[in-house]
Amino acid sequence: MDTNQAEAYVSFNEVQKSYDGENLVVKDLNLGVQRGEFMTMLGPSGSGKTTCLMMLAGFETATSGEIMLDGTAINDVPPWKRDIGIVFQNYALFPHMTVRENLAYPLEVRKTPKAEINERVDKALGMVQLEGFSGRRPGQLSGGQQQRVAVARALVFEPKLVLMDEPLGALDKQLREQMQYEIKHIHENLGVTVVYVTHDQSEALTMSNRVCVFDDGVVQQVAPPDVLYEQPENAFVAQFIGENNTFVGTVKEASNGYCVAEVQTGESLKALAINIAGPGTRTTLSLRPERVSINPEAGTCDNSVQGTVKELIYLGDHIRARLELCGQDQFIVKVPNAARHSHLTEGESVVVGWHSEDCRALDAPA
Amino acid sequence: MDVSRLPSYTGPLGRIWHYLFLLICALVFLLLIGPLFVIIPLSFNADSYFTFSEGMLRLDPDAFSLKWYRELFGTYEAIRSSRPESRGSEWASAAGNSFFIAICSTVIATSLGTLAAVGLSRSHMPFRRLIMAVLISPMIVPIIITAAGIFVYYSKYHLAYTHLGLILAHAALGTPFVVITVTAVLMGFDQQYVRASYSLGARPLKTFRKVVLPLTFPGIITGAIFAFVTSFDEVVVVIFLGGENQVTLPRLIWSGIRQEITLTILAVATIMVLLSVVVLFCVELLRRRHERFVTRPLGAP
Amino acid sequence: MAKATQPIMIDGVPLKEQLARAERRKKYIALGMVLPLLLFIIITFAIPILSMLFRSVDNPRMVTIVPNLVAALDDWDAVDLPSEQVFEIAFHDLTAAKKAGHLGKVSTHLNYSLSGGRSLILKTKRKFKKIKSGPYREAMIKSDKRWGDVHTWAVIKKVSVPYTARFFLNAVDRDYDDTGNVIQKPEEYRIYVTLFLRTLWISLGVTLMTLLIGYPIAYLISTTPPKISNLLIIMVLLPFWTSLLVRTTSWIVLLQTQGVLNDIMVWLGIISEQERIQMIFNLRGTLIAMTQILLPFMVLPMYSVMKTIPLYELRASQSLGANPFITFFRIFWPRSIPGIGAGGLLVFVLSVGYYITPALVGGSKGQMISNQIAFHMKSSLNWGLAAAMGTILLVAVLILYWLYDKVVGIDKMKLG
Repeated sequence: MDTNQAEAYVSFNEVQKSYDGENLVVKDLNLGVQRGEFMTMLGPSGSGKTTCLMMLAGFETATSGEIMLDGTAINDVPPWKRDIGIVFQNYALFPHMTVRENLAYPLEVRKTPKAEINERVDKALGMVQLEGFSGRRPGQLSGGQQQRVAVARALVFEPKLVLMDEPLGALDKQLREQMQYEIKHIHENLGVTVVYVTHDQSEALTMSNRVCVFDDGVVQQVAPPDVLYEQPENAFVAQFIGENNTFVGTVKEASNGYCVAEVQTGESLKALAINIAGPGTRTTLSLRPERVSINPEAGTCDNSVQGTVKELIYLGDHIRARLELCGQDQFIVKVPNAARHSHLTEGESVVVGWHSEDCRALDAPA
Repeated sequence: MDVSRLPSYTGPLGRIWHYLFLLICALVFLLLIGPLFVIIPLSFNADSYFTFSEGMLRLDPDAFSLKWYRELFGTYEAIRSSRPESRGSEWASAAGNSFFIAICSTVIATSLGTLAAVGLSRSHMPFRRLIMAVLISPMIVPIIITAAGIFVYYSKYHLAYTHLGLILAHAALGTPFVVITVTAVLMGFDQQYVRASYSLGARPLKTFRKVVLPLTFPGIITGAIFAFVTSFDEVVVVIFLGGENQVTLPRLIWSGIRQEITLTILAVATIMVLLSVVVLFCVELLRRRHERFVTRPLGAP
Repeated sequence: MAKATQPIMIDGVPLKEQLARAERRKKYIALGMVLPLLLFIIITFAIPILSMLFRSVDNPRMVTIVPNLVAALDDWDAVDLPSEQVFEIAFHDLTAAKKAGHLGKVSTHLNYSLSGGRSLILKTKRKFKKIKSGPYREAMIKSDKRWGDVHTWAVIKKVSVPYTARFFLNAVDRDYDDTGNVIQKPEEYRIYVTLFLRTLWISLGVTLMTLLIGYPIAYLISTTPPKISNLLIIMVLLPFWTSLLVRTTSWIVLLQTQGVLNDIMVWLGIISEQERIQMIFNLRGTLIAMTQILLPFMVLPMYSVMKTIPLYELRASQSLGANPFITFFRIFWPRSIPGIGAGGLLVFVLSVGYYITPALVGGSKGQMISNQIAFHMKSSLNWGLAAAMGTILLVAVLILYWLYDKVVGIDKMKLG
């Protein structure tokens, strides 16, 4: 899946994981992370992403396969010798130590000289703007401050790699967005390699160089955020990342990278042939709501169907319209809030059109 | 709902009921701690009566005296000369016995109990309910049955009328408290701390010393205090199993009450009340420390 | 979760088996850590108690001292006087017992069921010397005419069984008659049923009183702001941590006829000097002292339940139009019932086995079952009866704890 896996900084080579000897939580994982990269593992809960992180950290052992870090296999290296900083979901700051003691802890166990410890702790505190808080206990800090301390602690000993396990899950929305940028900037400034686990797609898209989408223990797609959104390779990714309209249909013909599929109600739709088995098989057509035009000028769209407006929701910059067409009533269109569309009313019959290169024919639903 | 303050809309009936309720509560609290504090001034009585003399009520300094405390510590010459066997040293040796037996049984109960609690707090523990039931049975069986059974059985092995016998019996009585407290603390301990420590480069032994022990220590100490107090207060097993050389403080108070109750007992009781204040203070301190660290869910502000 | 197509193998061994092995190893480690304490409790505590309770049915004395006589009486019909053969065996067994120095034990044992049994045997000890040869029947009857009484032999047969329910029957004021039927003891000897009932009533009384006076303060503590409630909770915990004997002592000081409470009442003019009330060394003393001593065990479980009742539920009730009284009875009270159950069961189970306080302040009317057990252990030395009473008490307590475990969970017991 990853072309550069051979020279990757972190790599999973055919890694499998089973907890009970029967079911695989992670199946034949091959993944490479480049030095300095911000790689996010994204997927629903139970998809195997946290298990992968824990195997990388050394808290779970791989049932088979090899995990490499910086050119050496680390399967048999205990966690305390891996030199991997971790930001835990609930921070796991030691409650009986002050902020300074928490930060000094990884340096003390490495027998760093006192003066150097002080210097590096101060620098790390400065990095997360908590200079005045070094004497406080974690219990006396707000959630956001604890989060910053956890990040500083994972970085202060200059680890080879930093892992973050849903570190922003406990914060409220506003703080979460602010922290996303702070972590992103720290990553950019330090150039450290980060593997980040989340189930929040907007977090993944905001922060990462590349995103690895997990489902059912299998990597579905590894790609930079824009590619992931614009060019999903299968129905799961299309559905999981961003909003998405889907039609299930049967492939009639395929040629030159395009195909024509017939949907339930008989309309034929043209789409990019991405992941189809061939004529006669079923396929999922995927179409982003913002790529659809309502009442397009004649000849501009090579797909157009008749639909009925069911519901309109005013969202400021755009109007969200729910339409019934091709036998389904959950078809969403994002209508830009421009003057010429303001006349849309509920119950109105409209023509809906889109370009065939915006519509992707993907694998059929299971 | 803050019941100590009444909202402005409360009607007259509500007000009467409210103050009646507070009065009832005050009386109950008086019942709870009043008896403890009555004996404190009485123990300074210059007379030998168990009631406040007129002089005491007038706060006449002559009505108060430390003579019962002097007798307790064996320095009251008048009493000493009239009673050659020196009652004072009796209390001193009883206190010595009490502390010796309590400390030894606490050490046994705490070490065995903590180890067992570590095992019990693991998810792999088989027969958990059954084992737990056996381990806490000393707390459940009525003390008279325990005392009778232990007396008869220990006699067979020449453990009756020995310090060792009492120490073993008291250790058994104290373990349930250690097991319950320490298991609860360990169950509440988040393994994430251990993982965090490993990831920061600390080996298992270092992690145990720097992270696990400091966070679970208050719980273990609380369990040890429970075991200590259980032994220190215990009298029934001592009555059955203790001989002349194993007389403890509660045993001496017991026979004092049964034979001739003197104000010396009130002096001892006063000291023991002060001791329990100290114990309570320690336990509260540990509990707050524990609550601040461990009970609070991880990551909560 | 994906199913592997075939069993996952590592180094030729199925992973499932390896995992099971690792799981077993972890089990052994956990068990190994519990084992020292488990053995300690079994050896120093469980076995002593079980062997004590076994005495309630065990009746080994006759079987071990006069085994042949016991065997011979086994075939006897208990209607006619035993045959010459039985007399001969009896003579030899008793003579052998005398030589071994065990005759005293036989006499004591017989005396529990046969008045004058001790003197009969001890007299025999002297008279048997003269008997050189048979027939033993006449010789023995001549030495003491009670040997000619069928009743004597019936009692010996009765007390010779190796296992007996007699102690349990005694514990509920019943006994076997000569022919083995269960009968009630004569009226003047019926004391234990009354004692069990009294224990029950005292425990119920103490439970109800602690509930009655404990509920208001538990409510107060759980609803006041932490600054005050912390102080109040300390006032509950202080007696909890204070020595039981100290607390009992203070009640003696308070309740004596020449004690503080009577003095105050005389001083206030409520009673005259001659009317001082006997408040201690009777049932009243036991009730008052036990109520105060057990109050913390009622208040603490109730408090821990009450403090989980969220304030917003009470506010919601008031916002829906219920006044504070209705809010209390419809919302707070039902939510606090688990606490009442926990506290009530705990206080009841502790009261049932109470010993120290009734022994010191109960006089003769305020004694409970534990005190009688102590009496039979230390004074009358009828350990079998003590064991039977202890077994009944323990079974009752275990049933109550089983209930407690169902209601609250025993390892969640609130300790301070």
